Amino acid sequence: MRLNKQKRLSGQKGLIGAFVRSAGYERRFLAKNPWDLSMVLWIPLATVLLIWWIFSQIQITDLPIGVMDKDRGPIANTTVRYLEANPNLTVRQLYHSPAAVEAALLQRDIYAVVIIPEDFSRNISSSKPAPIVLQVNAQYGTHSGIIQTSVQSVIGTLSAGVEIQRLVKQGMAPSQAAIAYSPIGIQRISLFNAATDYQQFLASTVIPALLHILAMVIGATTIGRELRDKQIGRWYDFIESGHPDLTSIEANIKNDIENDKTIAASTSAANNKTFITDNKPRKASISVLLFGLLGKYFWPTLAYSLWSILALWLAAPQQAVAISSIMATYVGLVLLMMLSFWLGAIFTLTSFSLRMGLSSTGFISAPSYAFAGVTFPYIAISDSAKHWSDALPLTHYLKLHIAQLQMQAPVAISLPIVYGLTLATVIAMFLAALLSKRALAHPERWGAR
Amino acid sequence: MSMLKKEPASKDSAVPKDKLSNTPSDSKDYSSQSFLHSFVQTIKDVFSDKGVLLLLLIAPIIYGFFYPWPYSTEVVNHVPVGIIDKDNSNLSKTIVRYASASPQLDTNRFLNEQEAIEAIWSDDIAGYMIIPSGLEQQVLSGKAASVSVLGNGGYFLLNKNVQMGFLQAVSTVSAGVEIKKSVAQGAYSATAAASTQAVPLKIIPLYNQTEGYGAYVVPAVAILILQQTLLMSTAMLIGTWYEQRRHATSIRGWLGRIAALSMFSFIIGCFYYGWTFELHHYPRGQNMLGSLLFLLLFCPTVATLGCVFGLWFRQRERSMQILIFSSLPMFFVSGYPWPAHQLPEFLQIIRWLIPTTPAINTSVQLNQMGASVAQVATGFYALAGLWAFYFMLLLLFRWRIPQSKTGY
Repeated sequence: MRLNKQKRLSGQKGLIGAFVRSAGYERRFLAKNPWDLSMVLWIPLATVLLIWWIFSQIQITDLPIGVMDKDRGPIANTTVRYLEANPNLTVRQLYHSPAAVEAALLQRDIYAVVIIPEDFSRNISSSKPAPIVLQVNAQYGTHSGIIQTSVQSVIGTLSAGVEIQRLVKQGMAPSQAAIAYSPIGIQRISLFNAATDYQQFLASTVIPALLHILAMVIGATTIGRELRDKQIGRWYDFIESGHPDLTSIEANIKNDIENDKTIAASTSAANNKTFITDNKPRKASISVLLFGLLGKYFWPTLAYSLWSILALWLAAPQQAVAISSIMATYVGLVLLMMLSFWLGAIFTLTSFSLRMGLSSTGFISAPSYAFAGVTFPYIAISDSAKHWSDALPLTHYLKLHIAQLQMQAPVAISLPIVYGLTLATVIAMFLAALLSKRALAHPERWGAR
Repeated sequence: MSMLKKEPASKDSAVPKDKLSNTPSDSKDYSSQSFLHSFVQTIKDVFSDKGVLLLLLIAPIIYGFFYPWPYSTEVVNHVPVGIIDKDNSNLSKTIVRYASASPQLDTNRFLNEQEAIEAIWSDDIAGYMIIPSGLEQQVLSGKAASVSVLGNGGYFLLNKNVQMGFLQAVSTVSAGVEIKKSVAQGAYSATAAASTQAVPLKIIPLYNQTEGYGAYVVPAVAILILQQTLLMSTAMLIGTWYEQRRHATSIRGWLGRIAALSMFSFIIGCFYYGWTFELHHYPRGQNMLGSLLFLLLFCPTVATLGCVFGLWFRQRERSMQILIFSSLPMFFVSGYPWPAHQLPEFLQIIRWLIPTTPAINTSVQLNQMGASVAQVATGFYALAGLWAFYFMLLLLFRWRIPQSKTGY
């Protein structure tokens, strides 16, 4: 029954026919080419799960530090105990010589050393400031940042204790001493992601960035391989009229040759033997091409819509996020995926070369996370680089992602981004169709490597 | 686009216009190919293949300028923040003045919290401070008083800046109040000032002394870029040779290829160490000899893995298709941006199969921190082990794949 229906559709003229035939052609190709199939299925699935897994321990704990205690008084001991008690730190070792400390830092046994000077106790008892020194390996930015805040808070507590004790000794009531020590207190509150959960911060934003890269690569290869293999003309003939039927006999021959691991041999060397050289220019219809391209990218679109659900299911934090926010983010992510497909296709089609398409795709998408303003904030990005950042779709999507999923902003605030992504996707799709039309008219440029 | 147009096809109609397909005359006797011959032939092929040349040499040079670009300001300053002053007293005005003077902050006044939170939603500000009404009254009458600082936890670096900027401003004012009170109570003003912090903490940042963001991230990413471009270009070249049935060679021949390809990346590595890092004033060259030794081991290791990938993918464009996405995950398991002991145990083990895992740390320790070669011996052993492992894989592929040209 289904087969009959498919047959009927394959025979169908018109745009729906072009869509269905193109999707059928692509289904057959993916079934026969495990590498290309894995780019649609296994690799993105594994990537999403891998990134989530990498950050499964959501907070950074137990960073190894060393202590050099030259004082050895009771308060110095307390300091070491406080440091040890801080969950972000672990005191790996007590050191006695600066040389040993330096070696440990250089070997990365420890990322910082807390030095308690010789006259520490004496200074405290004579009410002089008794400074403690923290030497930290600032080359390791993440480690260094966490060590600095943790040691600061430990020493802050210690300092307050010493000060309040001093005031109490002078006869002040303990409650009054605390106020006198710090007349204006500060309540420090982190709005959103209060637990500094790195899975929420990094994993949830890196996953869309990686799906974006993968989707652009698929965009480049799906149309690019037809150009490389000089099959784009035959693909168009098939989606337009259904002849020759590339989903049956001939596709079998083609794929058998490919399975013989000689795609290129078939295109370059063996081309003149087994293949009828196809160098007929075609005057293509834009609407047929549009539907044909939609059919060609149907399976990746379907698959990446599913991976997007997975990504957002992981990223939506425990506390309830409004369903409208999740919907807006999902629409944004699916649009980003589709836009990525078309952008990849555009890069390939403008250069007539799969290789160039992939090079440009990699060049633009791989570092896009660095420009997106998540880890290094947008406002700090140098002015000239901001233009580049603004031109990247990922920047806008991640802004929407963080606003909706983490900051729980009203949907209306992010709607302009959704509209922008929609517009960009539609324009990119038409551009891809126009460029395909141009590619079909220039068979002399097919087959570029 | 014009660069993609190949040389006139009319030269010889039998030869496809694609220059990659021209079979050189030297493809006859693979088994006795010498190291030097293979070395020279590989260099020739690299220069006659625009795709490989672009990936192997040109892309990493462009990246050397492109990647540090967003970080050129290095430190985050003048973060836009809001202040809601409900007290409107002399004390609150002093706090506002100190906060405005902070180089970390760029303050704006807001009338109420709703306005401020909306500004956060639209990314106009990264946080705000609320000074409650009656603050001055409470402080003067010796009661506990406090202000609230709310930072946007969605962006870690911004949040840190907001918290630290306001903390410093308020602490300074608070200390001033304390001193005034102590002096009023008869204490000598210098002692009073000194005793505001019984145990001050002095932080000394080592190596990356300015604590720049680019200086932190770029030296590590440079090694990743080096690996990815060398991997993809090598696999592309070997894959192309496979398509042309030119992949087979002797063991010495493979060593010649590896040497030639690593030579290019070695030069790029020197370009990064000597030019890119210098240009951006990153800490560099602390142990130059060690760094060069590292490159001498790292580049062949990666090139060997590239050869394995080439024989596995067996197609020109496949390496890019499969490997482009892998940079970010490789970076996160390297132990550099995210502490390795935080990773799930299984990942802590398998991450050692990737060259960047020992390489990023080793390079940073040698070149940025100035460790001795003995101090990073583990990294060197790991890289040598990986090289041996990849080379065995290569021999395995070489043995599995027919050596002859019968594919034609």
